[in-house]
Amino acid sequence: MKNNLKIARIQSNLTQQELAMKVGVTRQTISLIEKGAYNPTLKLCLEICYAVNKTLDEIFWINKGE
Amino acid sequence: MRKIKDERLVKLNLENIRIVYFVQTIGIIAILAYDLITKGVDGMRENPLWLLFIITAIVSTYLSMNISVDYASNTKSIKKSLLNSISILLLISVVVGIGVYIVEKSMINGILIGGLILICGIPPILYVNHLRKNRNEFYE
Repeated sequence: MKNNLKIARIQSNLTQQELAMKVGVTRQTISLIEKGAYNPTLKLCLEICYAVNKTLDEIFWINKGE
Repeated sequence: MRKIKDERLVKLNLENIRIVYFVQTIGIIAILAYDLITKGVDGMRENPLWLLFIITAIVSTYLSMNISVDYASNTKSIKKSLLNSISILLLISVVVGIGVYIVEKSMINGILIGGLILICGIPPILYVNHLRKNRNEFYE
């Protein structure tokens, strides 16, 4: 699923590894989420949002049909 | 080794376990089939793998009941479906009992096999009923 995680992460000055450490997953998982190749659970989405100081809709919202 | 906390890897691990289980089951079936061909039905049953296979099948059936209860439609009342299931089971055991009595001309065998089907059939029905009750209370 497409998302804005990469932009939000760069805005927060975090590397994939740092974000991964913050939310307790591996760097590969963060990379797959950014590529849209893995759909994280809502719990992980929230953890990511807390880590980059954004809301869920800013990172994970996509319009219907997009 | 550290405990895996990454949800993606946990899921991947479960998928791997599923593949391993599949391979193991195929292996057990192959061994039992070999025993069946070389030693016959009794020889196969003597193998402890037979017991393992049956126990696994029972556990798997009971676990999948958890899923089928959710999947089945909830329109019928719980009491009605319990009564339905028990009456169908009763009918099946009576029919099988009579069938055995006619074929083998032995009243005891008829009662024994019919009774056995009844006794073996009641626990799953009661379990499904218990699951349905729990689900209804949980989702209300």
